[in-house]
Formats: sequence, C-alpha cells, structure tokens
Amino acid sequence: MTSALSDRARRGGLHRAKRRESLIALLFLVPALAFLAIFVAYPLANAGMLSFFKWDGFSPREWVGIDNFVRLAADGVFWSSLRNNVLIAVAAIVFQVGLGMVIAYWLVRVIPRFKRAAMFLYVIPVVISEICIGLLWQFVYNPYFGLLNGFLRLIGLGDLAKGWLGDKTLAMPAVLVVMNLTYLGLYILLFVAAFQDVDESVYEAASLDGAGHFRTFFGISAPMIASNVQATVLLAVVTSFKTFSLVFVMTRGGPSNATDVISTYLFKTGFGNFEAGYASAIGIAQLLITVIVGVFVLTATRPRRPKTIKEVAR
Amino acid sequence: MSQATMAVTMPDETLTPRRQRRREREQLPRTRLSAGVVTVIALLGVHLVVVLFPFVWMIYSSFKTNQQFQQSVWSLPSSLQWDNYATALADGSLALYAGNSLIVTLVSVLITVAIATAAGYAFVVYRTRWMPLVEIVMLVAMAIPAYIALVPLVAIIREMGMLDTLPGVILPTVAFNLPISVLIMRGFFATVPRDLIEAARIDGASELSTFARVMVPIAKPAMFTTAIVNVIWVWNDFLFPLVILNSPERKTLPLGLTDFVGERTTNYPVLLAAILLAALGSFLVYLVFQRHVIGGLTSGALKQ
Repeated sequence: MTSALSDRARRGGLHRAKRRESLIALLFLVPALAFLAIFVAYPLANAGMLSFFKWDGFSPREWVGIDNFVRLAADGVFWSSLRNNVLIAVAAIVFQVGLGMVIAYWLVRVIPRFKRAAMFLYVIPVVISEICIGLLWQFVYNPYFGLLNGFLRLIGLGDLAKGWLGDKTLAMPAVLVVMNLTYLGLYILLFVAAFQDVDESVYEAASLDGAGHFRTFFGISAPMIASNVQATVLLAVVTSFKTFSLVFVMTRGGPSNATDVISTYLFKTGFGNFEAGYASAIGIAQLLITVIVGVFVLTATRPRRPKTIKEVAR
Repeated sequence: MSQATMAVTMPDETLTPRRQRRREREQLPRTRLSAGVVTVIALLGVHLVVVLFPFVWMIYSSFKTNQQFQQSVWSLPSSLQWDNYATALADGSLALYAGNSLIVTLVSVLITVAIATAAGYAFVVYRTRWMPLVEIVMLVAMAIPAYIALVPLVAIIREMGMLDTLPGVILPTVAFNLPISVLIMRGFFATVPRDLIEAARIDGASELSTFARVMVPIAKPAMFTTAIVNVIWVWNDFLFPLVILNSPERKTLPLGLTDFVGERTTNYPVLLAAILLAALGSFLVYLVFQRHVIGGLTSGALKQ
C-alpha cells in the first residue's frame, strides 16, 4: 500500500521533472522557432493562400479559385523554366557530384601531397559571391572583347566566336558551364572528407588483391561512401532548384526566357509584372516539385543499407 | 551525411596549425611518379587553369587602360593603371555598399550564432518526446528555397515597416540561415562527452547558467566556425537585398555592384577593378580562416 503510494508519488515527481525539462528545452528553442515561424512558415502559408487569388500587391485581392494553377499548367515559360532547373540538376549530378568524386579520389588516394593545395584552389569560386562570378563571366562571354572569343581566335577557330549569352540555344549551356566550374569545389570538399573516413585496412586488402585504382574506386571507395553519395546527390538537386543569383546576374533569364529558371521567372512575375497571386502559385508548385523530386532522389539512390531521412540529411 | 563529416573541425590545441599541418604531411605516403600519377597531375592542372583563369584574367585586365583592353583581350598590361581602382572607388559608392554589407553581415551572424548555439544545445541535451519533430522542421526548412514565398515575405516586411531598411534584410536572412547553423551546432554538441554535460548540469545553479558558463566556452570554436561560414553566406547574399532594398544609400555590396556595372558601360577595366574589389572581402575571409571555412562548408553542406 505504502509502496504503491510512494511509487505513484515518484512517478508524479518524474512527470513533473519531465515537464520542467520540456519547458526549459522549449525556452532554448523559442528564438529559433520564432524566426522560422515569422519568416518561413507564415509567408509560406500566405503564399499557399495567395495562390488562389489574383492580386497586384496593393489593391484588394480577388478570389479566382484554381485559375492560377490552370494557367500554370498551360504556361510554356513555366515548363521551360522547370526544364532548365532539371537540366541544371542533371548537369550538377554529372559534373559536380560525379567529377567531384573522381577528383576527390585522386586527391586522397593518388596524389595526397597536392590535396591541400588543390582543395584550396577549387574552393575559391565557392566562397566568392555569385554576383562577382556572374559579372566576370559576362566579360568572358562578351562578343567583342570576351576572353572566350579571344581564345577561339588565338587557336584559329575565330569563326566560332559569337555572343554566347545572347544566343537562344547557347545561353543555357553557357550558364551551365559557369555553374559547374563554380560549385565543383564544394563537392570535392565533401568527398575528400568522406574518402578520408574510409578505413585504410580496406584498401590494404584491395592492394594485396592487386586491384588497380579503377577497380578500387568502383569496388571499394564508391560503395563505402554510398550514404554520402546519396546525401550529396540530394544536395545537388536541392541546390539546383534553389539557384537564382548566378542566372539572374548573367542573363536575367533571357534571351526571351531561354535561361529562365523557376526562381527568376517567379521574381519577374511577382516583382516585375506585380502578379502576386500567380507568383505565389509558381512558388507553391515549385515547393511540391522539390518535395516530389527530393523523395524520388532518396528512393532512387538508396544505398543497400536502409537509411532514414534524418541520417541522410546530416 | 556521415557522423564524421558532421563533426566540426577542431584543431589540436597543443600544436600550432602550421606544425600540425607539417606533421600531417609527414604521415602521408610518398607519391611515386608513375605514368598514371603524372597523367592525373596534368589533368588536374589543366582543369584548375580552366576553373581559375577567369579570375587571373580579371586581376591583370583590371590594370589595363580601356583602349588596351579593347584592342587585345589576352595581352598583359603594359603599365599598371592603379587609377582604375581609384576611379572604381571614387565613382561608385562601393565603400558605402561595403559598409552596409558589413552591418548586415555582422548583425545577422551574431544573432544567428547566438540562437543556433542555444537551439543546437537543446537538441542534444533535452531528449523530450517532441524533439524529433522540431528536428524534422529544421531539416524541411533547410530544403525550402528562399524565393518560394518571396511575395508574401516582402509583404510582411512591408507591414513591419522595414521595407528598404537594413533590419528588413537582416531578419529574413537570420531565419533562412538558422536551420543549417542549428544543425552545425547540434553536430558539435553531440561530440561533447555526455558525462561532462550531465556533471555540469548537476553542479550548476540553473540550466541557463550551465549553458552560459560551461557550454558556451566549450563551444566557442564551433560557434566561430558557424560564424565564419555565415559571414560568407550573408556577405554574398543577393536575393533578400534585391527585393527589400531600394535606396542607393542602403544597398549591400552585391546589389550595389550590379547597379554600378549596369550604369558604367564604357570603361571596362574599371568595372573589372570594381568586381575584384567586391570579391576581395569573402576571399580574404577564406584566406585567413581557411580551416573554419572548409570545416563549416563540409558540415553545413545541405545549406547552399
């Protein structure tokens, strides 16, 4: 009887201690959660609501139901922008994740003496503002005194010289080149860190086996860091869908929407044409697409050992 | 990403960085120069030239006269036109823009690191039932592009009376840099031995003083790393200044630079000098705090 009572009392105390701990934890988290609520969640909810309205940002809103989404489905520029985002993502997976992995392997396993210097150099474009990089590459691609045309003339291919960013078919590849050269360093960094975590003894077994670098890379190194590869592919895709500054500063989405991505198209719709409702619909559509693609990437690149989302995002 | 890449780089305190680096180098296996190794070095060398030559070209072209620049793209400057830099500084409001960027960067980084340290600590220490939910919120917030709710966000800033002010840029910047910063700090606190935290909590007068007097001093290197990567992100940010700032005297450096380049279309070496000056800030931060930048970028990879 007494023991049951004290047991309940103890449990009550424990319960109270737990609640107190919960409260303290909340206090530590409140500033962060408040910022996220006001500047991320609330605007997002607002965008969700606005996507059903026609609004110029000033005059009263006008309810239009799903008209914005109907318009979106038939909007060629929206789809070409989305296609450019996908193109950027695919190029990033090949030329940033893939190439970054190979270069990182070289630096860690083949020429470790040059690892630090090479990493230092590759990371330079990563830390410089995209605005500076974009403006600089405008000079590189300039039709009259650009570095690229100068190079083509130097090697006798002057006929190929042109205004790269002004050409509808060439502008997007030109932007892709800049992106892939600029962000590669980050992926080299990530893969160098991942390869260094692989235990040396694994390689010793391989070298006893007489495996060359080609076989070691595909047979040992790559599988050993499978979860890193998955996280990095996800990172590349998410980053590709976030891209704005570099495209905006180099081409503003032009010529005639050829290099528009969702972000630049949304910016022009919302802040150039003052179509707040339609811009919000574009944003919401993009959010859904990001989620779907993210889940697809997670399932498509799942390593043999199952991982939860939480682990991957580390 | 694996736990190991998450760990924030904490240099061994008994060794100077230089000596530590030398020790690491001595431990490396000797590189034997076989044909394969030479090929790899050559390929990497060529690739690095492609990646970095535009920057080199920018540096030497910024010292040319305009006439020389337009006559030949490749040639080195015959004499160094330091005037280009003087013109870039005098004609543009680059110093003013840089000042604004400095204010925005310092204030938002201080707020971000302070809030992220508290939140990261709570994640590790208090395992309450709802904590995983908060973690998921952080992860989702990290993947959301800032532009998705751009129109309502600007409307909110306007309602708060902060449109075209620096606080109007600082607050959303903090919000969007918080999730990744929290996760970097959580990654650090997860490496602190559990016993140490528990002992401090039992000894300490209150939870808050345990955090402030014991945990924050331990976390200083990680906080510094978080701060340095945030400095680079905020200093380079373009989207929020673009949609929130309008007055020329309030613009940040990346935004002001696009104006400057748009207005002056004739003297190209001066423009290159201006771009170079604008790029210098984050490059210097990288040069001085290399280990922190690399550690922060590695642990904060999911941001960007």
